[in-house]
Amino acid sequence: MTGSRRPGGLSRRHFALALPSALLASGCAAPHRGTGRPGDPIVLTLLSHYASGALRDALQRPVDEWNATHDRVKVRTEAVEFTDLLTTLMVRQAAGQGADIIHPYCLWNGQLVRAGVLRPAPAEHAEEIRNGYGAAAVGAASVGGRVYGYPTEVQTYALYYNKRLLRGAGIDGPPRTWRELEEAAHRTARRDRYGNTLVQGFGLSTYDDSTTVGQTLALLNAAGGRFVSADGRGTAIDSPAGRAVFGLEHRLVAGGASAPGVNVYQAFPSGQVAMVVSAGWWTESLKELMGADYREVGVAPVPRPGAGYAHATLSTGFMLGVNAAGGHPREAWEFLHWLNTERVGVKGARKGAAATRMSALQVSVGSLTGRADDMRTLLGEGGDPNLRPFLDALAYAVPEPNVPGAQQAKSLLRRNIEALWTGQQSIDEALRTTRRQVDREVSRSW
Amino acid sequence: MVNALAPQTAERAAPSPPSAGPAVDGRRRGRRRQVVVAYLFLAPTLLFFAVFLFLPLGFALLLSMSRWAGFHLGDIDPVGLDNFAGLFADGSTFLTPVLTNTLLFALGTVVLALAGSVLVATCVDRLRFQGLWRTLYFLPIVTTVVAVGNVWKYMYEPGGLVNGVLNAAGLGSVAFLQDPDTALPSVVVVQAWASVGTAILVLTAGLKSIPESYYEAAALDGAGQVTVFLRITLPLLRPSLLFVCVTQFLTGLQSFALIIVMTKGGPGDATAVAALEMYRQAFSYGDWGTASAAAFVLFLVVLVVTLAQLWFFRRKGEDA
Repeated sequence: MTGSRRPGGLSRRHFALALPSALLASGCAAPHRGTGRPGDPIVLTLLSHYASGALRDALQRPVDEWNATHDRVKVRTEAVEFTDLLTTLMVRQAAGQGADIIHPYCLWNGQLVRAGVLRPAPAEHAEEIRNGYGAAAVGAASVGGRVYGYPTEVQTYALYYNKRLLRGAGIDGPPRTWRELEEAAHRTARRDRYGNTLVQGFGLSTYDDSTTVGQTLALLNAAGGRFVSADGRGTAIDSPAGRAVFGLEHRLVAGGASAPGVNVYQAFPSGQVAMVVSAGWWTESLKELMGADYREVGVAPVPRPGAGYAHATLSTGFMLGVNAAGGHPREAWEFLHWLNTERVGVKGARKGAAATRMSALQVSVGSLTGRADDMRTLLGEGGDPNLRPFLDALAYAVPEPNVPGAQQAKSLLRRNIEALWTGQQSIDEALRTTRRQVDREVSRSW
Repeated sequence: MVNALAPQTAERAAPSPPSAGPAVDGRRRGRRRQVVVAYLFLAPTLLFFAVFLFLPLGFALLLSMSRWAGFHLGDIDPVGLDNFAGLFADGSTFLTPVLTNTLLFALGTVVLALAGSVLVATCVDRLRFQGLWRTLYFLPIVTTVVAVGNVWKYMYEPGGLVNGVLNAAGLGSVAFLQDPDTALPSVVVVQAWASVGTAILVLTAGLKSIPESYYEAAALDGAGQVTVFLRITLPLLRPSLLFVCVTQFLTGLQSFALIIVMTKGGPGDATAVAALEMYRQAFSYGDWGTASAAAFVLFLVVLVVTLAQLWFFRRKGEDA
């Protein structure tokens, strides 16, 4: 090495090493957090998918309130669309530009914990979270029994039904069992002479994860089944409950009561779907889309295989966690505690009624949090009765699995459900392929 | 400027002939200076290639033999060839149907686009207002893939324009994008439609370069339209056809934007292609090792296919 170096100069090898190192160092340098001068405030960044419209404004309000009342620590919100959230988290983290506070979809928690992105909640915060939220919300915000953040938006799944279509088929109320569901689906379904679907009895749709995996898992949970095994290292879908759900969906599609090609998010508001399992956030969209026709929409708990089964459904959600690479974890947890735990007066509610700022924020955009007491306060007596089944489900919902590799497991399940619905696979093949593929990928992720 | 330095150094070296040593040294110094100046001029380009080609290529090669979740550079964990083995392991979908779909998608696109563009370019070459026609056929190229994909998606839907035409003809509806047997061909048609504009531009330019005297001679000999097309137009159009064929195949093998808009790779795996799988592995599942390994496998496929095309056309006498 010394042979190639001229006195007082850098060798070519040094230069070759220094150039990429300098490029990497400049790219990975710690992000600028405030001025860093003594006495100047610490600026925490919060990255979420509340990027536009009501969601952005709803989050900005409490953040502005915090900034107006706290001199030492300020919070700056940064937002990207949900579809870009995971990518943004990855790229910024790899470049050393990760936000101090992140707002991930709980499905990704296993992946984020395994990659060392999320900081475990300090004991006092973890205790607060365990005591203040429903089991599903706490489960979604935990990985391996350890809590990693404050649950924010929680979605539970229930059965939406069109009262007019059910009445038209001579059915008085929503189905409570799978037998009633199948019967109602077949009686309400209609097609024209060219095979075009006029009314879908039960909305099975390949449109997105929610319409395929979401409602399949809600039905699976209602049948007492689970997607991921207890140890989190494989799938448990190849079970009697899994076989029953795949069988139900297969019969509905094969019998013409369901048409997977139809986009249920458009078809249901147009009165072309009699029943569909979906999450609580949809109520607000339906109100806007349907106007006066919304009064024909009812919501009921997810039907069970039989009367002897306990109520169960799926819950999904987001949480606010603290970045392990952030420089001010104590301040970040302090802000999260203020946002998610401190109770403030609720406008329009009975005198003395209080709820957390996050609960008020979520309800203002038509969503729920895992704090059932807050939800009852905020929704009040005169609220939309269609939200009640979602609220009740907070007590018995099963959180979406969030083990490492959960996102890939969900994608693989979706592909096999679609293959089942479109006749590419039999029920046995779909269960077997899902088990083989998910077991392989999830075990690789640990 | 590099050349301008040479005479100066030569002049400086000239007055000292008694000893060969200093003259040789001077020439060496001058040459070294020339080399330094040349590299200085090349430096911006070399730096560009280093940063945007060699650095990512090296990083991708490193990742293809590592496990990395995409978050911390310090967590890159070498695993040898495990990622490549995983792609072809029992139960993996990468070879079938993903890679098979990729080749079918590219092949279908090339065949349709090439046939369509030869037909259209030949017709356009005989029409008035050729610029207008070329512009019209080029419009899909300047339209975003998202818009193209969504419009075609609505047209394919039950109750959409295509099914409406079928129903008007008394035929039943077809679930084009929902049926695994028709989903891939349906997307291939859209990709071919969207890429035919470029091919038409290249081929019309190729047609213009064929000397008119050949056609006049053929007419004097009484050759028919088909004979003229097969014996004169097609052989002389071969350089343009080679270019279109190679570029369309490369695009087809690497593209996934249209698929993500129209089918998201479904139903099941019916339209899953390699580039989409790479994107999912990296950005959705955080498995950058598998994604990078898949990228190198795709690179090899692209290389082999391109070399095969070049060999085929050269065999036919075309100097590519």
